[in-house]
Amino acid sequence: MKRQPWIEFSLVLLLCHVIKRKSIPYAFFFILLAFSWSQVQSQVVFSPRDLKNLSVEELMNLEVTLVSRTPEKLAETASAIQVITNEDIRRSGASHLAEALRLAPNLQVAQLNASTWLISARGFNSIFSNKLLVMIDGRTVYTPLYGGVLWEQQNVLLEDIDRIEVVSGPGGTLWGANAVNGVINIVTKSAKASQGLYASFAAGSFLKNKASLRYGGKIGEKVWFSIFGQHFNRDNTTLPNGTHYTDAWKMTSGGFKVDWDISSRDALSVQGGYYDGKRKTAGTPSPLNGQNVMARWSRQYSTRSSLALEVYFDRYYRADAPTFSSDKMNTVNADFQHRFGIGKQHTLIWGAGYRYVKDDADFEIRSGAGILPRYKRLDQFDAFVQDEIALTNSLRLVLGTKLLHNVYTNWEWQPNARIAWQKTKSTLWGAVSRAVRTPSRFDVDYFLPLTPQPPNLPSVAGGPNFVSEKLMAYEIGYRVQPTHKSSFSLSTFYNVYRDVYSVEPLPNTLTYQIQNGSEGRSWGAELLANYQLLSRWRLRGGYTFFAKELEAKKGRNFNPAYLGNDARNQGMLQSILDLPGNLQLDVVARYIDPLAKTFATERVPSYLTFDARFAYANKGWEIAVVGQNLGQERHTEFGIIPIPRGVFAKISARF
Amino acid sequence: MLTVFLFAALLSKAQTTPSAVNQVKAVFLYNFTQFVTWPPDAFPASNSPFVIGVLGNDPFGAYLEKVVEGETVSGRPIAIRRYAHANEIKNCHILFVNKENPREVLKELAGTAVLTVGDQESFTRSGGMIGFYLDKNKIRFHINPKIAKAANITISSKLLRLANVIED
Repeated sequence: MKRQPWIEFSLVLLLCHVIKRKSIPYAFFFILLAFSWSQVQSQVVFSPRDLKNLSVEELMNLEVTLVSRTPEKLAETASAIQVITNEDIRRSGASHLAEALRLAPNLQVAQLNASTWLISARGFNSIFSNKLLVMIDGRTVYTPLYGGVLWEQQNVLLEDIDRIEVVSGPGGTLWGANAVNGVINIVTKSAKASQGLYASFAAGSFLKNKASLRYGGKIGEKVWFSIFGQHFNRDNTTLPNGTHYTDAWKMTSGGFKVDWDISSRDALSVQGGYYDGKRKTAGTPSPLNGQNVMARWSRQYSTRSSLALEVYFDRYYRADAPTFSSDKMNTVNADFQHRFGIGKQHTLIWGAGYRYVKDDADFEIRSGAGILPRYKRLDQFDAFVQDEIALTNSLRLVLGTKLLHNVYTNWEWQPNARIAWQKTKSTLWGAVSRAVRTPSRFDVDYFLPLTPQPPNLPSVAGGPNFVSEKLMAYEIGYRVQPTHKSSFSLSTFYNVYRDVYSVEPLPNTLTYQIQNGSEGRSWGAELLANYQLLSRWRLRGGYTFFAKELEAKKGRNFNPAYLGNDARNQGMLQSILDLPGNLQLDVVARYIDPLAKTFATERVPSYLTFDARFAYANKGWEIAVVGQNLGQERHTEFGIIPIPRGVFAKISARF
Repeated sequence: MLTVFLFAALLSKAQTTPSAVNQVKAVFLYNFTQFVTWPPDAFPASNSPFVIGVLGNDPFGAYLEKVVEGETVSGRPIAIRRYAHANEIKNCHILFVNKENPREVLKELAGTAVLTVGDQESFTRSGGMIGFYLDKNKIRFHINPKIAKAANITISSKLLRLANVIED
């Protein structure tokens, strides 16, 4: 439902006209521009004269961006959105979804070990990182077990990702709970857009091997399908003393997608996926697997009116041998949304959904710590309404709220107000939002040890009174495209958090309970720039500043420092260069400040490293050599396990 | 509640402006005049207008008029006509066929010097001459030159080179 492709040309057409070229080598730059433009234009109207001045080739060469144009996107006009395109990913050499997210400079991506990534926006990066909501084609992959994303379980085919939208800042009104500090939407290509054969094979050191195969075809006149499978082996990391850590892992995954254009206004899409893998862990290996299937029906009444219905089932199972535990989560989700215009000024969107969630968290007594009770239903219901109001031609206001019901805290509401002032080349926006992070099982049902203890012995006895963590966020941002070759975006925020996690003893006992005894503020700025230096050379990069003050509430005894191992400064620069002779040379460099030592984590030194890709691409064939983390032999991103340098070669074919 | 929605749907329907894609398609319709030659007998008189027609639901609205405003084809002014049924079509030179099932209409028009354009996937395999489609976010078109030839319409090689030519 979150993904409702809406074919949209961008104003870039006009820019093409301005630059008057017979061929347009800026296609990929245009994608970026197109995103930013289509987000500010609710209805693009071209001057017929300008269009007529384009040659047929020019008209044909223009990117018709498939921007998800549900009203969420319009609301995001007034938000800190960044887009990673398929091309950005391919040219970065990323071999896993989590690696691709390093291309969003407003995200802090830390690889903890061979198979674990910790990813956050606007702070609170920790092994929980529970304030960032992530969705793949509208299916949430945020687990209510501990509140966070198990990135090793997300194995989409990178080739088939259409784009990744990274919104930092609250998105709770439209997206739901836990979109406190950001939302990531991973949008895969439609079956129509992934036709033909794609095959690739990579082999190397840290990424030992990876094979991918996809085929897309057509059944009759109105049905498209695609099917893919992939398998990879990833090597161990190396401990600081040079010995091998045992965290190698392998994964087999596959999926399908069927798109049916039932009529000019109805579309049905069915997709599914599975994965099955094994992580090497101390002692015995830990298996993980999952399946999901989704159906989405949408009807388009007019450019301003549409209805969409989506149902999905998702199941995962993961074992963790060292802690003698496993978790099985079954989710069935159904929701719909309806959008329509009222008069010329109002566009209304409303929707509702129900999610059935059953968790089976199985911790053996010898685990020492774990979740009780083993089985729990975590159902939730939500409804939202949002009105987008065109106050004047250039001033737009978005007002909306989400009401949500969860098993821990019952009703929660997440309102927001956003305003955007749009001029031809720039947008100034501001927003005030409230968002909540609802409790997870690790907040409420966590026990250490698993058996009840007397008050004079130290123990953690869950968080029976734990309530949602709350955020009030104040944002101001500015986006500008000074020329057709460049765009810049600056987003600033001031966040006020209430009722943040703490672990405190009950009076006169050694029985600890998980409570809401912390509070704090954070502030920062995110800068993003795209620059088409030459027709063959494109740069994109960004810088993020982040600061926070997190403390125990008055009279509480807790040090919340470890809740966020956040970098103060970080930056990323991606260079995409086409050389003569069908050669490509691409580099992604990134820098991050040190992470302070806390009582739960070691200090992590700052690091500067880079990935490089050298490739030959011709007639559907592509041969690439990719080096990752080339800056030093190994570097640590979180905790103590260093991530090694890696090199792999890859051959791909697209027909 | 329901009446509000119905009302809203009506309102939004009434003021539909063409989507950006249709704006560009409208320009393509005009552009085709520069790459296609019609037989002389396609025009009843030397001062007859050049007619671009839309059959079925009109996705372009007034935008199409704006596109052709002040333009001529070989000295002829361009007129826009809209048809609900195929039997209304007379002296039309480019016809955008917006029908769920165009095969019937195209059969009726076969052999007449009308450049038929559509955007159904099967358009050029159902007897149509030019069919729009989208590929990797770009506008593309199929051309079936055999059908054009049978209607005595010549499509320039320049346009054919840019198209996906259907050979059946």
